[in-house]
Amino acid sequence: MATTEATTETVGGLLPAVPGTPQNGGGVEREFTVKARSQRQQIVRRFFHDKVGMTGLVIFVLLLAFGFLGPLVQGVDYATQNSNAQSVPPGTAGYLLGSDAIGRDVMAGIMTGVQRSLFIVLLFVAIAFPLGLLVGALAGYFGRWVDSLLMRFVDLILTVPLLVVLIVVASNFPGSRTPLGVGVILGLFGWLDLARIVRSQFLSLREKEYVEAAHAMGASNSRIIFKHLIPNTLGSLIVWTTLAAATAITLEAALTYLGFGVNGANQTSLGRLVSDGVQAASTRPWLFYFPGLALIIIVLAINLIGDGIRDAFDPSNRRVRA
Amino acid sequence: MFFFTIRRILASVLVLLVSSFLVFALAAASFDPLSKYYTRNPRPPQSFFDNLREQLGLNDNFFVRYWHWLSGALTGDFGKTINGSSVSQQLGTRIMVTGRMIIAAVILAVLLAIVVGVIGAVRQYRPSDYAFTFLVYLLIALPTFWFAALLKEFVAGGINDLLGSQVLYTIGEETPGLSLYASGWELWSDRLGHLILPTVSLAMLSFAAWSRFQRAAMLDVLGSDYMRLARAKGLTYRRTVVKHGLRNALIPLTTVVALGIGTLFGGAVITETVFVWHGMGEYLLKSGIGQNDINVVLGWLLVSAVFVVVFNLIADILYAVLDPRIRLA
Repeated sequence: MATTEATTETVGGLLPAVPGTPQNGGGVEREFTVKARSQRQQIVRRFFHDKVGMTGLVIFVLLLAFGFLGPLVQGVDYATQNSNAQSVPPGTAGYLLGSDAIGRDVMAGIMTGVQRSLFIVLLFVAIAFPLGLLVGALAGYFGRWVDSLLMRFVDLILTVPLLVVLIVVASNFPGSRTPLGVGVILGLFGWLDLARIVRSQFLSLREKEYVEAAHAMGASNSRIIFKHLIPNTLGSLIVWTTLAAATAITLEAALTYLGFGVNGANQTSLGRLVSDGVQAASTRPWLFYFPGLALIIIVLAINLIGDGIRDAFDPSNRRVRA
Repeated sequence: MFFFTIRRILASVLVLLVSSFLVFALAAASFDPLSKYYTRNPRPPQSFFDNLREQLGLNDNFFVRYWHWLSGALTGDFGKTINGSSVSQQLGTRIMVTGRMIIAAVILAVLLAIVVGVIGAVRQYRPSDYAFTFLVYLLIALPTFWFAALLKEFVAGGINDLLGSQVLYTIGEETPGLSLYASGWELWSDRLGHLILPTVSLAMLSFAAWSRFQRAAMLDVLGSDYMRLARAKGLTYRRTVVKHGLRNALIPLTTVVALGIGTLFGGAVITETVFVWHGMGEYLLKSGIGQNDINVVLGWLLVSAVFVVVFNLIADILYAVLDPRIRLA
């Protein structure tokens, strides 16, 4: 009897409000049934719903697995030379993708190349990112002579094509013909466009009310830069990082092709494999196609991820479900 | 507008001056004109080096050297190569060779970028848009020299087989020695046959990024109020897109292209290497860096800096002409 009484009361639609006790059995009542999401969750969700970006991510992860887990599965060291299997075409027993002129396995080469190229990218980002962020932030935040000084400096370096600057600098250091050296040189000159991007963002952000508020509360310059402004430029920073990573891979390949990149003995990278393969395009096409395809796929995947992230941060020009 | 232009020109000259100083410092620190004698066997005596240093002015103060070089460069004299010939003369012929390729490539790339970008924007999310987008992404990911090798391998071979004679050449900017006796149509048709592949290779890779800019700019414009107004006035769709949309959407592209021409100099280095052109790229790599020839490298860097600065200037002025709002800023 008591239960029927209770049901009739709820059918009536209104529960008497009891102070101190939440309605509807404890949950916080909401007007809508949609869960509230923070901005970060929205961005992450948008990215995961973006087909292009996810395709890139999946391909990239597969490549990572290929480059880093592949050698464990295959168990072949790229440096091993086999004088009985020189320039064998793909499909020969033990050489799935063929071998090069001194009998090294091409598949193992590509795996190592992927590793080395990613190492170069990592090094490049680790050097260029803080440099560009710092220069751009200082120029954009302080303005006036700091801005003029730093940005004119950037302009000056950019009066010469980046590839040529890299060539001239690399020609000074014959010892830098390793993935380590190339990564460092790329990093030291790769931050210029990031500095410009960060500066232009800071120029508009520093006029915002929340910066004024932070000033009024007595926040120091460094606190405003690191706690307020940089988090607000995060979108551009991440996008730059991905796109610059792709550029770094192609730049490395170009440098290596011209003879100023990874050219030392026993050194390898995807760029090195591709450059070596170009000479063999008609005679031993497997040396030309497979490394080239690996390089294209890796650059393509990174670019797709970058675009997906850009759309996730700024969905205004894309119809993606959030 | 007049004062705007004057101000920009003055600023560019200043940038160029400082840039020439930076370039000189970089080159002076990097290259030693005497290095080819160090490895000679037997090694020349020390007095030989001392004499040569004195003769080339290497013992002078850095700023004095810079001044000597700069005053020469301003009057069009870039000094001598280590083999004794004039750098200015060699640079002149090299620029003509590279210039042919770059001008042709830029024209081709701009046309392609506009067509592909506009189609992508007008037919957004249609199959043609997706196809072009995929193609463009692929082109952006391609390493220049790999793509060029692909062209040499398939396009050149295929077309020559098809026509039954060698129309496309894969090496050099003209048949060696032809310019000594041939002239007029024979010479230029030969040069055209050599020009096509490098141009296509260079154009394909630069147009890819530009078409994305054009597509984004066009999308921006298509959504604007004045386009809706133009339609509401009763203009046809085609007319609004071409007269009202495209003209405004071209503004961002002019800047990007003008800035890109400077960068093309860098890209041309690789393309020239693949197609064995005796242009600026080869000059820098072989005659300059390869032989430690400081005057060659300096001349090259200065010429490329002039190009970049001049095209930056053109971009600025064009932007102000096309978009009057910018003049006020």
